Amino acid sequence: MSELEPVIGIDLGTTNSVVATVRDGVPRVIPNRGGQLLTPSIVAVAKNGKRLVGALAKRQAITNAENTVFAAKRLIGRRWGSKEVEDARQFLPYELVAGPEGNDVRVQLGGRTVSIPEISAVVLAELKADAEAWFGRPVRKAVVTVPAYFNDGQRQSTKDAGRIAGLEVLRIINEPTSAALAYGFGKQMEKKVVVFDLGGGTFDISILDIGKSVYDVVGVGGDTYLGGEDFDRRIMDWLTFAFAKENGGVDLRQDKMALQRLKDASEKSKCDLSTAPNTAIHLPFLVSGGEGKGALHLDKQLTREKLEELTKDLVERCIAVADKTLRDAGLRAAQVGEVILVGGMTRMPRVARAVRDYFGREPSRGVHPDEVVALGAAIQAHALVAPQPKGEEVLLLDVTPQNLGLMVVGGYFNTVIPRNTTVPTSQTHLFTTVQDNQTSVRIAVLQGESEKAIENELLGEFILDGIRPARRGEVSIEVTFAISADGIVGVSARDVVTGAEQSITVTATSGLTEEELKRILDEQRDELLERKQTTREFEMRRDRAMALVREIDALRPAVEAALEKSRFGKDAIQKAETVIARVRQAIAARDAGAIEVEEEQLDRTLQLFRALAAGGPVPAGG
Amino acid sequence: MPDLAELIDQGVRAYVTGRIQEALSAFQHALMLDPQNVKARGYLVRIQATHPGALSGPFHGRVPLPDVAEPPPPDLKPFDVSPPATEREAARAVPAGDGHPALHHEEDFAPSPWDEGPTTGATIVLSDEGSGAGIDLSAVSEKSDLRPLVPEGQAPALRGPPTDVDLWLKAAKELFALGDFTGSLELIEKILILDPDHGEARDYLRQNEATLVSMYESKLGPLQAVPRLAIKPEEVMWLNLDHRAGFLLAQIDGSVDYEGLFAVSGLPRLDTARILANLIADGVIRS
Repeated sequence: MSELEPVIGIDLGTTNSVVATVRDGVPRVIPNRGGQLLTPSIVAVAKNGKRLVGALAKRQAITNAENTVFAAKRLIGRRWGSKEVEDARQFLPYELVAGPEGNDVRVQLGGRTVSIPEISAVVLAELKADAEAWFGRPVRKAVVTVPAYFNDGQRQSTKDAGRIAGLEVLRIINEPTSAALAYGFGKQMEKKVVVFDLGGGTFDISILDIGKSVYDVVGVGGDTYLGGEDFDRRIMDWLTFAFAKENGGVDLRQDKMALQRLKDASEKSKCDLSTAPNTAIHLPFLVSGGEGKGALHLDKQLTREKLEELTKDLVERCIAVADKTLRDAGLRAAQVGEVILVGGMTRMPRVARAVRDYFGREPSRGVHPDEVVALGAAIQAHALVAPQPKGEEVLLLDVTPQNLGLMVVGGYFNTVIPRNTTVPTSQTHLFTTVQDNQTSVRIAVLQGESEKAIENELLGEFILDGIRPARRGEVSIEVTFAISADGIVGVSARDVVTGAEQSITVTATSGLTEEELKRILDEQRDELLERKQTTREFEMRRDRAMALVREIDALRPAVEAALEKSRFGKDAIQKAETVIARVRQAIAARDAGAIEVEEEQLDRTLQLFRALAAGGPVPAGG
Repeated sequence: MPDLAELIDQGVRAYVTGRIQEALSAFQHALMLDPQNVKARGYLVRIQATHPGALSGPFHGRVPLPDVAEPPPPDLKPFDVSPPATEREAARAVPAGDGHPALHHEEDFAPSPWDEGPTTGATIVLSDEGSGAGIDLSAVSEKSDLRPLVPEGQAPALRGPPTDVDLWLKAAKELFALGDFTGSLELIEKILILDPDHGEARDYLRQNEATLVSMYESKLGPLQAVPRLAIKPEEVMWLNLDHRAGFLLAQIDGSVDYEGLFAVSGLPRLDTARILANLIADGVIRS
């Protein structure tokens, strides 16, 4: 088979993201350029103005909190003023503002107002660059995963993020589906599978009905404010209070640098305790000891037992949510055929034990919980570009994540397509007028779970006019909702008697207008060109500098001979060597600016060498 | 009783205005509080050299030179002596080929912090044995690596008795001219506390900072290099660091380059560069 264009699967997480691919038929995670498999989904503008992504951004997330955007996934595709955005504003240290049309959410970052898809795009672009470095060639196509409960606006925003990052998003797939895909790959399983996903910031539980390569999400639940960071915070609090007790009340929370180190150490100790019974937390020179005193150290031992005690209620919350989700789906724990653990937190033995105790079976451990979603996405991406043998196609059958319907009198929400309906689907309901001689109706298309229209997501609206004037309740208006396999919602309304019809295709928007998107894409292109220009400039300067170096080297024997007879410039050779060494260093660092700085010195050295070699007077510039 | 910083400040002010006994007393008291204080010892060495009769008391006799990484004590001369910068300017202006020594020997000048790092250009060290045949010294000196020591323009003429700010600024200029950028910066910062809009002080602040950042960065090597711990992790706690150095050291795990450290430190570039340069000088980290 000829070599296919590389495609990747991306798990764009709230806390961490992972990129994977299928190579030689084997799904595998692509390490980032720092050698890590997980890339923190964090974007920052450092205090020195440098843009940071991933691990570096995370290292300064507390010390530079107002210019570090994390958990952008909580905001993507959300409406400004929605409950989720208001909740997020309570705890996010960076500033949120309304978009230009007041609909979507923007963040203030480094003095600029940036849309959420742009933030996610920075993370996606980083993963794309990691993949390109790994493949050694450009990567243009990807499958990206989202939580099963994401509505169309959130999915579209994620797609836009991909576009901004220079990726063609082949498909957006649900995270639990992706995880199941990674487990079901090559297997023939027919059972109900629970995907228990405890990540860094959120807990999601999904129930899938899997039958011969068909993945049907039949129930979702979760807690969007429960994750690994809550566990870290418990350790941080424990350390903070212990430290204050041992050091005369010194409060580490007042010192951002100390807090940053404390958070990093807490997360690390938590991870260590997944495999070891105890761990040492050692933070030398953590905080100033006060006037005239040395810095204070933190030294503490944390046992797994203590960690479990500190986080007992968090684990119990997970199980309570799982129980509710199962009951909503009309399922008992015993009916579950398989439990898949997803997310780094499920590596904590106490979590895995609680899951086992609740479901009465050992959870599956075949695939690493941090990687499983990305691997599934990579499998799907591969399936979309590589022809599959007949009978082995991986068919993804997703369902509507939320109820889809319209607003009716009184501000209520009337469901037309209930959640968990398999797509593609089409359903028709009849509605009527509420006033006499009403000739038009407003159809507001909504998605959500609340009975109140205002609490749901507005996907679009249109007016159906040309309705036959009649007494209220006498007119029949047929409203049809259709969802395509790509998740595009089409809504049409028709007066049954007059045949007057109006329709709308709800192409979910990310809040970015087409114009804005175009501008952003143009900026991206300019940046790319600039980078290429920088590369060209480096190559040009490198070649010029090396030509000078070669000429200096060629003159060296003559210069050495001339210096034997002269009282001057004895150290000329040594100086020249120093300059050449600096040039080589600048070339190794690919620093065009540094090469430029040295060019003048090289030039002077060359002039001096030429003069010395010719036996004439030393030039003024020498 | 004044604290250490105040004593040093008093000493510097007294020294630059020619009140040698007062300076001596201040530095001697400073050494009682901190026997290893580099600045006080440096000034005492200088006073010992320039006013041998002035030194008395517990520090009479030879004061050992400090052996720490801090730039050497400035070659300050009291206020009534022509400042070295002027000397240098004068020396630079001497035309070549007239039979006079063209330039003072390097050792005649205050130690420059540039001497410690790699040179920024291919300098020619000129012999002081007399003019060399065929060499256009004035042209060479114009092209030399010597940088302007103080900004253009003179300090405004003092009206009435000099204020603290005037004295500090004068001292800061002297120190700047002599290459003691750290000392100059300290005084400038004191001025800016009293008068945040002091234009000249702001100029010196920028120049001092830029110079110091260059000096410290030159000790780091390429900023794309990834520093690593040069000692065992368990030895870290035996060092004498402050919490800011502790924070930076905690970030050095073999995966972040210097540029990355500047970005994540959250500290001003000068502070980060200084801490990193000190960690290298102390053998705690290596590139």
